[in-house]
Amino acid sequence: MRKSPFIRVLLLIGILLPTIRIAAATPVIDVEIKNHLFIPSEIIIPENTKVKLVIHNRDETDEEFESYELNREKVIIGNRKGVIFVGPLPAGEYPFFGEFFPKTAQGKVIVK
Amino acid sequence: MLLNSVIIVLREVLEAALIFSILLALSKQSKIHCTWIIWSLLIGMFGAVVYGINIPLVSEWFDGVGQEVVNALMQYTVYIMLLFYIIILLLYASKPAAGAPKLLVIMMVLITSIAMIREGAEILLYFFSVTRSVNHYAAVMMGMIIGASIGISIGFLFYYLLLNIREKWSMIIGLGLLILVSSGMISQATLLMIQADWLPAQMPLWNTSDFLSEKSVLGQLLYALVGYEATPTALQASMYLGGLILPVFIIALLKLKFKS
Repeated sequence: MRKSPFIRVLLLIGILLPTIRIAAATPVIDVEIKNHLFIPSEIIIPENTKVKLVIHNRDETDEEFESYELNREKVIIGNRKGVIFVGPLPAGEYPFFGEFFPKTAQGKVIVK
Repeated sequence: MLLNSVIIVLREVLEAALIFSILLALSKQSKIHCTWIIWSLLIGMFGAVVYGINIPLVSEWFDGVGQEVVNALMQYTVYIMLLFYIIILLLYASKPAAGAPKLLVIMMVLITSIAMIREGAEILLYFFSVTRSVNHYAAVMMGMIIGASIGISIGFLFYYLLLNIREKWSMIIGLGLLILVSSGMISQATLLMIQADWLPAQMPLWNTSDFLSEKSVLGQLLYALVGYEATPTALQASMYLGGLILPVFIIALLKLKFKS
């Protein structure tokens, strides 16, 4: 089969990837999940900046970090940690929740 | 607990159910026996268990973004296989060749089982997490069954809708829906790659949350069906568009070829 434009774009992206990943240091923010709660439940990040959230799940049970506003979704296995990159975003409030235990696991990212 | 488990399972089942129903309707039209669905279910369920068990390991890959990368690769793979499926289906429809149905069956089994592996693993993780920590075992089970039933019912609804319109139209609508679902997958996979920081992050292009929230029922359905996203970035939107245009372009090329 001839190489389709789509495959070409993918190849190009593949070649460019390494250059993109050596960007300026991304701020790291640690978040904990404990007793199905996010600690801290409010995460403040600067406007128009990409940040790296490291979510440490201190519970035995898995949790799914989920946010429609942030467009993020990721399972954080019990007693392990997960990495989620968030932003850049315009100022505002972006709620997130733990999809497996949404009654208690609630929080928001505040961008200012 | 009950409502939550309904929603979680419904969301996971919906996408797979839609793909199943469209492929089943299309294969019925191409006179392909639907026994392939048994293989899909077997491979899909087995794969979901294996993947579910190994998610803790996969999560650790690539500095903690293994889950995103593996899920995105699965979705890109499904997209490429859907492209092949569409090409083979159209070729077969114009000039029936002996080997084509077999190829179509292999494609359909792979597409549906990969979709099931991804969604099924998440349902399993949810089930084991929730039943381990609360005593609402019955409520969770009940919710999961209700959620799965609603998802499967919507799949049946689509299947019968597709079979009960005129054959020519149902082929066009079936293919159209398939292309929309697969572009949605490209957009989701791109989002995962952005989340993993493997593709560049950008500011959202627009925000249509006030107009149609992704949380709403319609928003959820459109998310599964056409990959609706309220705040896409430029990269995500262009990958979606590219994913939409490429199969349409291929279909147009094939149609031209048939005519000449």
